[in-house]
Order: sequence, then C-alpha cells, then structure tokens
Amino acid sequence: MSSDAPGVGEPPLLEPADPPVQEEPFFSRPLGKIFIIWLAMTTVGVLIGIFVPHHVMPTLLSHEATDVWRTIVLFTILAAPVAALVYSVAAYSLIAWRHRGNQDEPPEDGPPLRGNNMVTGVWLATSTVLVLVLLAWGLSVYSSDETSHPGTLVVDVTGQQWLWTFSYPGTGVNTRSLVLPINRPVEFDVTSVDVTHGFWPVALGVQVDANPGVVTVIRASPDKLGNFTVRCSQLCGLYHSFMYAPGAVVTKAKFSQWLQSQGASTTTAQAAALITKQ
Amino acid sequence: MVEEAEVSEQPPRTAGTRRGRSKPLGFAITLVVALAFFVGIGLLFHAQTYSAPAGTLVATRVGTSTVNGVSLQHVTLAFNTYPDASGTHNGVAVHPGGNSAWPTYGPTNQFQVPAHSLVTVTIRQYDSGGSLNNAWFDKVRGTVGGTATINGKVVTSINPNNVGHTFTVRGTPGTDPNFFVNVPLPLVPGDSQTDNGKYETVTFSFVSGAKGLYAWNCEFPCGTSVASFGGPMNAYGYMSGFVHVV
Repeated sequence: MSSDAPGVGEPPLLEPADPPVQEEPFFSRPLGKIFIIWLAMTTVGVLIGIFVPHHVMPTLLSHEATDVWRTIVLFTILAAPVAALVYSVAAYSLIAWRHRGNQDEPPEDGPPLRGNNMVTGVWLATSTVLVLVLLAWGLSVYSSDETSHPGTLVVDVTGQQWLWTFSYPGTGVNTRSLVLPINRPVEFDVTSVDVTHGFWPVALGVQVDANPGVVTVIRASPDKLGNFTVRCSQLCGLYHSFMYAPGAVVTKAKFSQWLQSQGASTTTAQAAALITKQ
Repeated sequence: MVEEAEVSEQPPRTAGTRRGRSKPLGFAITLVVALAFFVGIGLLFHAQTYSAPAGTLVATRVGTSTVNGVSLQHVTLAFNTYPDASGTHNGVAVHPGGNSAWPTYGPTNQFQVPAHSLVTVTIRQYDSGGSLNNAWFDKVRGTVGGTATINGKVVTSINPNNVGHTFTVRGTPGTDPNFFVNVPLPLVPGDSQTDNGKYETVTFSFVSGAKGLYAWNCEFPCGTSVASFGGPMNAYGYMSGFVHVV
C-alpha cells in the first residue's frame, strides 16, 4: 500500500463520477426535427418541380418553349431545398418556440448567429454556387435561342389596340392569323402603331414588347404541329383581355397552300414555304 | 428611494394586459380602413368604367337565306355612328350622359344575334374621319362574299385616308378564335364634330359563329391622347362593345 493512499475513514480523493448523461437522439433535438421538416418540404418541392410544370404549361410547340419548360423544372428543383430551409425553420419556430398566453414573459432569445463563420461560409458558398448555376444555364439557353439561322422565315408583327396583324415580307400576305411552317426558324420583327403591347405566342415560348416606333426582334423554332394563341402580355387598354390572335404550326406544304389562300401567287408561296431569308 | 418609487408606478409587464386593451380598437380600425378601401375601389370602377348607352339591340328575324348552299336563319341589325355622344337624333338622346366631345355608336353598343345565322347589318355613318394608322383595316374582311355595300355600291375596300370608323368584331379562344369581321365605314366629307344630318349607309352580311360573347371595336383612331386611341376608344360604351351570340 502506498503511503499516499488515504487512510481509513478519510474521504476518497476522487469524487464518485456522476451518472453518464444520456445524450438526446439527433431527431429528438430541435435541429433534428427541423431537418425532418426540411427533408419533407424539399421532397414535396422537388416533386412539384418535376411533375407540376408538365400539367400547367401550355402545349410546347417550339424548341424555345421546351427550353423554358426545362428551365422552370431545373430552377424549381434547385430552389426547393433553399425555400424548404426557410420554411422549415419558420414552421418549427412557430410551433415549438411560440410564446404561449399562459406565460407572463416571452422566453429569452437564443444565441445570435452573428459571428458563426461556419454558418455564414456555408450559406454564402451555397448561394454563390446556386446563383452561378442559374446564370450559366440562363445565358446558355438565351444564347442558343437568340442565334440567327440560315433560311429563317421573317414575319412582321404589328400590335394595335386590340388586334395583332402579321405580314409575310415578299409574299404580299397580311393576316390576323399567325401560321408558321414546322422545323423552320422564324424571326419576328415586332412593333406597335399606338401604345406598348406584348407579343406573346405562349406555346412558342417567346415573349417581347411591341413598342411604338421601334422594331424588336425575337426568334423561335417551331418543331411540333399544332394550334396556339397569340396573346398580349402588356396591359394596353380597355380590350386588352380580348387581344388575341389565332396561330398554327403546319407542314411546309400546308404553309404554302395557306399563303396562296391569302393571296400569294403559287410561285411566291412555294418559294416562301422553303426560304425567304438567307 | 427614487428608484423604488419609479418601479412601483409601472404597471406589471404582462403581454395579456397590453394586448387586451388595444386589440378590439386595432381590429376595428383595420376593418374600417379595409372596408373603406374596397368600397372606394368599387365606386371608382363603377364611376369610370361603365358608361353604356341603351340596352341590348336584339336582331330582327326576317326569314331564311341560303349561303354557300346552306339554309340559315336570316336576321338584321341597324345602328348608327354619331359625332356627338351627348346629342340627339330624331329627338332621341344618342348617349344619355355621354361625353359631348366624343363620337359614339348608337343607340347602343350591345348587340344580340342568334348563332350560326346570316346577319345583315346596316350602319348609318354620320361622323367625319381621317387616315387609318394601319391600312390593313381598309379592307372588308369576314363578310359574305368579302364585300360591303356603301350607298348602294359594292366594295371590298375603301380609301384608308377617308375612314370615319370601322366595325371590327373578333372571336376569342372561349368562342371561335377564327371568327373575324372588319368593315371600314367611309367618312362624311366636310363634317367636323357636329351632326349635320349627312350620312353614309353601309350594309354587309356575315354568318355568326358559335354561342358566346364576341368583342367589337372601332380600329380608326378617333379618340384622344396617345395615338388617338384614348377617350372614346378606351371608355366602354362609345367605340366598342359586345356581340352576344345566343
């Protein structure tokens, strides 16, 4: 026995250890509960992004409309976890940390996040990556849609209260119906004779303002057959809500026939149905 | 001592007490402000947007006619265009309460015709005019034969610089988007903004579409302000209206 050993009747040098603290499971703690809510909301958001646009968007008749659809899906999926984080923290706070009426004083605030470099860094890095991805995607889609192609069909679009008229240069055809051949790039030269209108053939996935005295160019590439409606997207006066024009994407043969039915000569119509601008 | 006195004068800080005093008053104020806002908006819309002349003009049935080998019910409509909405015509107010400086269609801007019928329209045009801002509207479109009759003469178009008004009807996606009628009405030479009794008689026929609401308006810039498409062009009841197809 060592001489340092406590003698009989003396208190032990070491206090008896406290019973081990039972650590609360992660999913029972606030952070775990918030994580579960976030996961559920993210799942719902991603599912909405994948399945809902397909049902609420109009028929997609052009390459650009498909690009718009893909962009909406991608952006919704990327935004889902971010939005879910905000909503899950807010929802849990409202439920768990709500000040109840039977308490005289509100509970103390938790420790501030300011100065927490870890949280700030992760938030900044995630936001930066997301924004850069969105920017790169958007610029890529915009660039591909704005490229002029050989063999482009030019259509002059004129808006006025409250009708659209369309002119096909070189054919003498002026109509209020927008008929386009399939698989042929189209350039819309858009203007207005009175106030600002918004040229919006929804199914073609493009939209641009029609400004008086200015010609604005926008392009589309119809790649599916079908009917569509041209709307006005700028509140332009009393009958703005009636400012429609019927539209259709047809085969090149039918496009030629349609031009002839509108007064173009057979030669002109056949030529226009193939190429009107190099 | 001073600190004790200050503390004792303060009421107990309980959320229930504070909210209990202000809640009913705040709720009442919010309710009154919200009600006033919505009532005000409603009154504003009611005062400014709806100014229709007389009620709906129902087409008169005159028998049946054959168009492209199809026998159709034949109806007629007759109405006018006036240079002065507040004037009188044959002793009858053109547009009761109408703006005296604005041209208008009359006696109403609401018409009712049966579906899939031959509709023959006669318009007496009493107003002056000028140039279209889009010559596309100088042509007669969508009528039977693509023609109209002006003072007994059959035409397919008129001079785009001598237009008084147009009667332009269009379908909508809810009815028949391809339905379209445009008839330019020639101006009365030498007239200004007074009804001198001279007029141009324009007659045309079209086959009505499916049941539904069709909008019509004038495409000649006969209004005020921006591009002459303000004033009567943008106020309901003057240079626009509806065709009810039943």
